[in-house]
Amino acid sequence: MEQAVGLTTLEKAVAWAQTKSMWPDTFGLACCAIEMMSTVTARYDLARFGMEAFRASPRQADLLIVSGRVVHKMAAPLRQIYDQMLEPKWVIAMGACASSGGMFNNYTTLQGVDKIVAVDVHVPGCPPRPEALLEGIVRLHEKVLAGIPPAYEIRDVAS
Amino acid sequence: MAIAPERPRIYGGTRIPAPIPTVLQVPRHLRDSDDILTVNFGPNHPSTHGVLRLAVDLDGERVVGLHAVIGYLHTGFEKSMEQKSWWKAITYPARIDYVSFQYNELVFVLAIEKLLEIEVPPRATWMRMLLCELNRIHSHLVWLGTAALELGAISMFWYCFRERERILDLFELVGGTRMHTRYFQAGGLAEEIPPGFFDECATFVELMPKAIDDYEGVVDRSPIWLERTQGVGLLSRDDAIALGQSGPVLRASGVQWDVRRAEPYLAYDRVDFRIPVYSGGDVYDRYRVRMDEMRESVRIIDQALRRMPGGPWIAGDRKVVLPPREELHTSMESLIHHFKIVTEGYRVPEGEVYVAVESARGEMGCYVVSDGGPRAWRVKFRAPSFVALEATATCVSNSLVADMIAILGSLDTVMGDCDR
Amino acid sequence: MTFKGIPGLVEIKEAYGETTLLVDPARLVEAALHLRDELGFNFLSDIAATDYLGWGGKGVSGYMGTATGRDLNRPSTSGLQKLPDLKPRRFSVSYHLLALRDDPERVRLQVWVDEDEPLPSVVSVWPTADWHEREAYDLMGIRIEGHPNLTRILMDDDWEGHPLRKDYPIGGEPVRFSGEE
Repeated sequence: MEQAVGLTTLEKAVAWAQTKSMWPDTFGLACCAIEMMSTVTARYDLARFGMEAFRASPRQADLLIVSGRVVHKMAAPLRQIYDQMLEPKWVIAMGACASSGGMFNNYTTLQGVDKIVAVDVHVPGCPPRPEALLEGIVRLHEKVLAGIPPAYEIRDVAS
Repeated sequence: MAIAPERPRIYGGTRIPAPIPTVLQVPRHLRDSDDILTVNFGPNHPSTHGVLRLAVDLDGERVVGLHAVIGYLHTGFEKSMEQKSWWKAITYPARIDYVSFQYNELVFVLAIEKLLEIEVPPRATWMRMLLCELNRIHSHLVWLGTAALELGAISMFWYCFRERERILDLFELVGGTRMHTRYFQAGGLAEEIPPGFFDECATFVELMPKAIDDYEGVVDRSPIWLERTQGVGLLSRDDAIALGQSGPVLRASGVQWDVRRAEPYLAYDRVDFRIPVYSGGDVYDRYRVRMDEMRESVRIIDQALRRMPGGPWIAGDRKVVLPPREELHTSMESLIHHFKIVTEGYRVPEGEVYVAVESARGEMGCYVVSDGGPRAWRVKFRAPSFVALEATATCVSNSLVADMIAILGSLDTVMGDCDR
Repeated sequence: MTFKGIPGLVEIKEAYGETTLLVDPARLVEAALHLRDELGFNFLSDIAATDYLGWGGKGVSGYMGTATGRDLNRPSTSGLQKLPDLKPRRFSVSYHLLALRDDPERVRLQVWVDEDEPLPSVVSVWPTADWHEREAYDLMGIRIEGHPNLTRILMDDDWEGHPLRKDYPIGGEPVRFSGEE
């Protein structure tokens, strides 16, 4: 009985800690990267979420914000970066191109990054406003606080 | 206060590597010595301005070999634009050079108008010029913020993006969205300029020169900045022309060439502005050129605000431009024109044109081939960043790894522009 | 400015305020050297390769409801109003040149090649042509001879096919709608 009560509280504490300093990886690809950079700036201030420390090394990052169109040539490096991240890790597909290929339905653009990595939150927009990205981040935090496991545990990549 | 070392003078002759002009190859004596470390500055790197991969050969800290691999953002713009009607295709170019987005739209729309031989009303011309100069300032702010960030002047990033937010507010006022406004249409602008824009823009013009003074106050006399940028990344005048450089890189190497002055388009021959030219050919001079260009852009915007003509915002040619909605209730011809333009798309006469504008990065060109139909046959964009990266091998000969980062920053490449 | 003396010149075309010089591909490097050294075109802006497979194939747009050249269910596919001029070969490669001086001038140097017909490289004339020619090879399959490093530049190294050709499909996925089965 005491053990069950203790475990639940520990999980909640761990989830709370994870949301308060979920460091993103510097994975800016295209236009969405510019809006992601402006999320860090003074007007939208990502630092109040504890997330302004964008890590260059994926081994130190918790969150992969795929911001921009992923093309065939970049798919392998993307998967490599994702694999190098330590668990638990989350992925936000920022923008229309990362979510579903966007306006580029052609021979080279991946129709959604969820074809190669498991995505937690898709943020629509072309590019999404910084507020929209913040909304996506807040929803991700809510998911983590609610105890929902990261996407790679629940679903596989899209076909 | 430390004094910056004397700047090495620009070199004579050529430093373009041979046989491959874009690949710096390790000299033979070093290749055999087994001391070379090959490092991959991979596509995911915080300092390579997007997804650029550099395979760098290092002898200690010195860069002795370099070759760039691009294509990590090749989205197939040109082929996608061939599938859409001319109207819809205008949405694509903004995402090519996603930092100075309106230049791409402008060059494509100018190419369509050149083929159509359509007359654009002066209000649209002046407004386009105003928005493009705002976009130039936007691009230089993003450049300064990120280039300074990479060299260690991290706070510049926040200062520059503060003004950038004001510019994006202006774009949102005019086009409805912060980036990729898609406000240019073949024949003029998509909509009338909203009220209140000119006042907001005038406020911006007031505060921008002081902001530029702020930026210069932060870095311009900092000995670290001077030492890291002066004498680094030298590119001589002849090499710059041979390598097809344009824009600030060319002007920092002493060539007085600006498409706005030499082959004026829009209303650039009717406004008064200077073309900053420096002859040092190094990273510091490219920085100075861009700072001065920001000031000149503010002057152009100020003049455009004062002299903005009234009148229609789009051409009257109903074969190309949608008629105003009120007319659809009364006029049969307007209804037919509207229907044909929306379903079939307007037809652009057969021919091929090449139009060049001075984007924030250099000469942005668009080559359009039309077969007389409602869709483009071939659209090719001459991307300044594609060409700027060709100069990397020449600029980094004789430099350290840290200098390479400064040089890449100064070339101001945007990978969307490079890979299209 | 006279272009008559260019080696290998086939035709001079003027349209929309632009001059296009058609040149024999075998004498391309000579023409390039002449343009650079004698006439001062020291700046190569761009090399644009175009594929004309299927040019004019859409046919003239028929009256509404006829089969030729119009698919009512796909807007913007309607045929042309008049058949365009036939092109001599399948590919055209246009070199956009600029004389960078006080009275600048632009000109387009154009050559026509067929599939698998090699084109000499102009890297020795304008070093900036390096990557432009690689792009023409990669995306259009124009074979460039004498290029020091003719490898793929934008596509993956092991990509098959040349994407910008007209017989290469646009690719992508058919768009699915939620609620359909």
